[in-house]
Amino acid sequence: MVFCVGCKTSGNARPVGAVEEIKAPLGLPLVPIPADNPPTAQTIALGRKLFYDTRLSKDNTLACASCHNPNLGFTDGRSLSLGVGGMSGVRNAPTLLNAAYSPLQFWDGRASSLEEQSADPIANPIEMNQTHKVSVSKISGNPAYKAEFAQAFGPGPVTLEKIEKSLASFERTLLSGNSPFDRYEYGGEKTALTPGAIRGLAVFVDPKRGNCAACHTIHPAYALFTDGRFHNTGEGVNGEGEFNDLGRFGQTKLEADRGAFKTPTLRNVALTGPYMHDGSLKTLKDVVAFYAGGGDSNPDLDKEIKAISLSGQDRADLVEFLQELTGEMPKNAGPPGKE
Amino acid sequence: MRPFPLFNLCLAITLLAGCSGKVNTEQPGAAKSAPAPLYFKVGPGTAAVVTGTIRYQGKKPALKLIDMSEEPACVEAHHGKAYDESLVVNKKGALANAFVYVKSGLQGKTFEIPATPVTIDQSGCWFRPRVMGIQVGQVLKVVNSDPVTHNIHPMAQINREWNHSQGAGDPPLARKFTKPEVMIPVKCNIHSWMHAFIGVLDYPYFAVSGDDGTFEIKNLPPGTYAIAVWQEKLGTQEQQVTVGPLGKAEANFTFKGK
Repeated sequence: MVFCVGCKTSGNARPVGAVEEIKAPLGLPLVPIPADNPPTAQTIALGRKLFYDTRLSKDNTLACASCHNPNLGFTDGRSLSLGVGGMSGVRNAPTLLNAAYSPLQFWDGRASSLEEQSADPIANPIEMNQTHKVSVSKISGNPAYKAEFAQAFGPGPVTLEKIEKSLASFERTLLSGNSPFDRYEYGGEKTALTPGAIRGLAVFVDPKRGNCAACHTIHPAYALFTDGRFHNTGEGVNGEGEFNDLGRFGQTKLEADRGAFKTPTLRNVALTGPYMHDGSLKTLKDVVAFYAGGGDSNPDLDKEIKAISLSGQDRADLVEFLQELTGEMPKNAGPPGKE
Repeated sequence: MRPFPLFNLCLAITLLAGCSGKVNTEQPGAAKSAPAPLYFKVGPGTAAVVTGTIRYQGKKPALKLIDMSEEPACVEAHHGKAYDESLVVNKKGALANAFVYVKSGLQGKTFEIPATPVTIDQSGCWFRPRVMGIQVGQVLKVVNSDPVTHNIHPMAQINREWNHSQGAGDPPLARKFTKPEVMIPVKCNIHSWMHAFIGVLDYPYFAVSGDDGTFEIKNLPPGTYAIAVWQEKLGTQEQQVTVGPLGKAEANFTFKGK
């Protein structure tokens, strides 16, 4: 592994400002906050600035926002993302909206927190391809950043840990709820969903029909539309029943995790195509058809994935429902200075 | 994202596995040290042929319209009405879409695997062709010409059963069957009216009867064979034929309807 060796932070840096409350919109639960990184106005602002800063890539062409574009639901609209020099990545850029709730980060869950996740793409050779040492040096060489880091963390040098914590705190503010679904389900607004979407919701939750909610969970008080776990749907399997990208197996080496990837949230899914970890499905209609057909067979196919008898109307209703999961976009999440 | 080295390693393993599978075309019972199998070639002055006609006697089934209305794109793609094709009989009683094959008489001979694939197309929300034969190890090319997603599902019992989603515009799939199996029913997991049948044999002696009920199995080595016919609704029949060098034999079959 090329990353997270020697880059584990010691956890010494602590934000010094007043703790900022991150309010969860309708339909979302309280945001989990790590004890050693309470969000402050200063760290959030700093994280936001770093998020849009191309200095974090080797050739100063890419920022985090290049693949997590706020205008595309914090994705890039591509099947596979492009790294520096136009190098193609191997997976589809996931949305950062509501990533704060995910117990594990990345499609394969290789990071256990946003702090651990945030600097990984910077050093990844097929993404921003810049060593952490160079990133720290580029950022600390900038007087404005030096001052902002001092305000956020107190006196001392700019460190990787402070960069990670700032980016993570900004990411924690990228919440999106209060969608038509939320207003219908949690806001008591019975006209918030179209009749087709209401039928689609019924198919979505019915274990005998769509059974989508088995993994894309809906809680009585909130909905993340993900169980945060890893499942093999068969996506990416070849003719021999094997996977080029082994997904979660790469982390756990458990046979059952072969070809398994994290359940993505379905919030804002109408904005985040193309779909699946390899971006191989273009439209929501394709995705619904993929699951109706029972995915792609392979030895480790998740037991919940099987052919479902859904009428054309059921499938159309499901798509209509998914389109009602587009929530309000978080405020102050675009490039700094462009509120 | 995943670092390159691991990805490449996986790819390399996959490629290696693919290569060794290709080399290993030995038949069970063949000498294990043999580097490549000795393919049986039919002598140029000996090739025989078996022809025949498959007929159906009985009341012709009424035309049954297939309802694709749940997927309007299928109705459009099919260009016209779709009728059930599980029993296709012409005015003269000739039976189409019957699979005719040599059931026995070729023991001990190993035949080369054709390099050209056999194609099954999902077109107009229909499998084309409906009935087809393929050799063990020959590539089955699965094409989706439709504007909708299909999920092809060969329900094999001797071979590995699999199903795979194929969206509009997706590249063809290439699959192989590793053992003889007559017949493998194929369905689409999404469109319940779509059916096809694949016969897998480890030699090239099979045919599907045409609209006029006729078939031809050519380039046979001289010998005595059990010729079998299979039809999805009517079951199977077989009869024995003997052909000498450059011989011609006829094997006609008649299925009786209810």
